[in-house]
Amino acid sequence: MPGDYLPDDLKNLWQELSVNPAPVPIDELRTEVGKLREGLSRRLVIGGAAALVVVVGNILYFLVFRSVLERTGAVMTIVGAGYLIGQILLRRSRKTLDPADTECLRFYRTELERQRDFHRGAWLWSRLALFLPGPLVFCVGFAQAHPRLALVEWFVGVTFLALIAIAVPLNLRLAQKYQRRLDALDRSQKGE
Amino acid sequence: MREHEPADEARSGAEAFYRQAAQDYGVALERLAYAYEADADQRRDLLQEIHLALWRSFDKFDGHCSLRTWVYRVAHNVATSHVIRQRRRNTPTFITLDEAENETKDEDAGVSADRARARALLLAFIQRLEPPDRQLMLAYLEGMDAETIGEITGLSTANVWTKIHRIKNVLTRKFHTGGHYAR
Repeated sequence: MPGDYLPDDLKNLWQELSVNPAPVPIDELRTEVGKLREGLSRRLVIGGAAALVVVVGNILYFLVFRSVLERTGAVMTIVGAGYLIGQILLRRSRKTLDPADTECLRFYRTELERQRDFHRGAWLWSRLALFLPGPLVFCVGFAQAHPRLALVEWFVGVTFLALIAIAVPLNLRLAQKYQRRLDALDRSQKGE
Repeated sequence: MREHEPADEARSGAEAFYRQAAQDYGVALERLAYAYEADADQRRDLLQEIHLALWRSFDKFDGHCSLRTWVYRVAHNVATSHVIRQRRRNTPTFITLDEAENETKDEDAGVSADRARARALLLAFIQRLEPPDRQLMLAYLEGMDAETIGEITGLSTANVWTKIHRIKNVLTRKFHTGGHYAR
């Protein structure tokens, strides 16, 4: 059986929700801002370190291996990894609205669009177009230059391709999910 | 000795605004956090994130809107980002007001005179709403007028009135015996 609550009763019920507000001291907020900055720098350092490993590793490949394909693959991998990291950093800053200066509806829509676009279209395909060929070209070059290890290199290449084959539909599915929410938002606005 | 600089004055002004906001809206912000996050630990983190965003935001507060509008905009937007992040991980299913209107009453059977249970069900219902509908529902339950709700959400006052009417209908259908809100 439903209850006996009319909307105005529910207002009272809601406002009686027993909460125990503990004011956040200003000093604690200052500390949190510091931590936030440290967290951002830590993420930048970790991202930078990962990029450095890829760059240094592929520079070594470039110096150690002699075939044109291996060297081309190494250079392409460096470029692709750089682009990938650049895109991730751009995504963080792109269209992030000021929460204080943006009406909630616009904020929600922009956040959904930002998430959707990262997982589809130019953002997704350019990521793949730039990151995918480098390691594959390197694998082919390595397999040609070292026929005895070709099987291992083919295995690595196929595994890499399989991972990409999984990543693409996953990304597109996520993009669809965000698009569905945007469509629902549009319907809700049109239905006013 | 270091001279008192304009930046220090601005910062202390911002801190005064923050203190005022925390004092006036601290309890409402706690309720807002409840509406966006069911898990107690994550709710505490969300609330802290809201306070942090508020504290930082007051550097830019120029009084072109009321303190209340400013506080709720920041709080809802921070909480919305939280929901989107959580959704990426957990994929909970949210519903719109349209869908809520079409839901059968069966699932709410048992809302009795017990206020605590009714409140728990109300909270569970709010937590299932899409963020824009949740913002409207909360604003309504907090007793805001249509103009303020419009300023916060970006909806026109007329749209807010329409939405509020639908919110009342949904609440009546769910929480009142055989009720259909007709006022």
